This record gives sequence, structure tokens and C-alpha cells, in this order.
Amino acid sequence: MTEDDKDKAHRRMAVDASKSTEQQDGGTAGPAGKTEATMSPALQAHIGRQVRAMFDSVADEPVPEHLLRLLKDLDDSGEN
Amino acid sequence: MPRTVSPGLRDELVAQIGNLRAFGVSLCGDRERADDLVQETLFKAWNNLDSFEEGTNLKAWLFTILRNTYFSERRKKKREVEDVDGAYAAKLSSSPEQHGHMDMQDFREALSELPDDQREALVLVGAAGFSYEEAAEISGCAVGTIKSRVNRARRRIAETLHLDETDEAEPELAGPASAGSRGG
Repeated sequence: MTEDDKDKAHRRMAVDASKSTEQQDGGTAGPAGKTEATMSPALQAHIGRQVRAMFDSVADEPVPEHLLRLLKDLDDSGEN
Repeated sequence: MPRTVSPGLRDELVAQIGNLRAFGVSLCGDRERADDLVQETLFKAWNNLDSFEEGTNLKAWLFTILRNTYFSERRKKKREVEDVDGAYAAKLSSSPEQHGHMDMQDFREALSELPDDQREALVLVGAAGFSYEEAAEISGCAVGTIKSRVNRARRRIAETLHLDETDEAEPELAGPASAGSRGG
């Protein structure tokens, strides 16, 4: 990765950050009230368990070697 | 370029990789692309560690970088490809064996059919352990917006999976009682 690339990454991040604060999604700003019928806590919990099970199934996997290596390489190249 | 990174901070970064991968897969539905996202996230994080205040919420900071990376790439791609959602769904359903048992596969598909913003909100709050306030900060929107996205995500998933109020005690939750029927 060249200095120039790093520079770009930097700039992109600054841009990303500004974009995220003016989130452009349509359809979320409007009054949501009427569609928010109540869902039972039990059903909410059921869905919650499913989301967590899916998430955890990936989160608990061993970290791929190349991602660990990346941090190590960045660490080693610290003072270039 | 960051100053020297303390070993403690580096360990914390490493400790978040699993969560970042899970978040990436949840967002894009593609494990390979998710790992690319994580790689880019780690790279950006490392090079911007100066702007991170040690002791504040590293996990939230990393999640913010990942989702910003994902959404900015997606915006770019959207201009080129019409059916990004279709690609997501196809990728997801292509390898059920990787994704565990059928319930989870069905659930993944239902999740993949959600609009991006609802999927993100549901995963941040429902799985990654963030408060509504933290999720709002990560997504760059109001707390009320996150709440309504989560609600709509839940409702839509319930519809897709034909869950109703009597389903909370589904037998599948008791464990893999039907595992014997699967080849074994």
C-alpha cells in the first residue's frame, strides 16, 4: 500500500463520516407511528434469539489467519 | 501514521475481529466480501488510531468504520448494478451447508430481504449488543429512527417467516430434536 493509497483511505473516511450523519435513506423520516402495532415481547424475543444465533455463529468462528497477519504487518511497519 | 500502538489496544482490536466479521456477513450476506470489509476496516482503523480516544467505545468506533465502508461501496455499486439485493439473496442461499440448519437458513433469507437500513438496525441492537443510542450514533441517525427500523425489521421478518404470536414456543427452540432425520 502506497502513501497515496493511505491518503485516499483517510479522505474517504472523512467523507464517509460526514455522509453518515445526513443519512439519506428515504422512508424512515416520516411518521412511523401507524405501522408500529405492538408485537408481543415473546415474539420479539424469539426473533432476537434468531438474530443473535446467526450473528454469533460467525462471531465465534476462529479469526482467519490473514486478518491476524494484517494487524501484525501493520504493527511491524509502524515506523516507515 | 499512528504513533506506537499499545499492545493493549492492539489486543482489543484483535478481540473485535469476530464481531466485525459477523456484522459484515450480516450486512452483505457474503463471507468473502465481509472479510474484505473487515480487512479494510482494520486498515482504516489502524491508520486512524490517533483519532480514537482510548478508553471510549472501540467496538462502536470499528462498527462505524465498517458500515460506512460498506454503505459507501454499496452506493457506488448501486449506480452500476441494478439488483444488488438479488445478488445478496442468491449468495446467501447458495451454500446452506455453510450456514447451519434450516431454521437459520430461513432466517438468513428473511434477513436478506430486509432493506439495508432495517437489517443494520436489527443486527446492531438485536445481536451486536448495542443500545439504541449507540446504534443511532453508529448509523448516523436519530434514536427514534433506529427504534422504528428495528420494529419494522422484526415485523417484516415475522411476516416472511409466517411467525405469529403463538410461535414463540416453537419446538425447534428446545434443541436439535429432529437432527436424527438428517442423514447422520
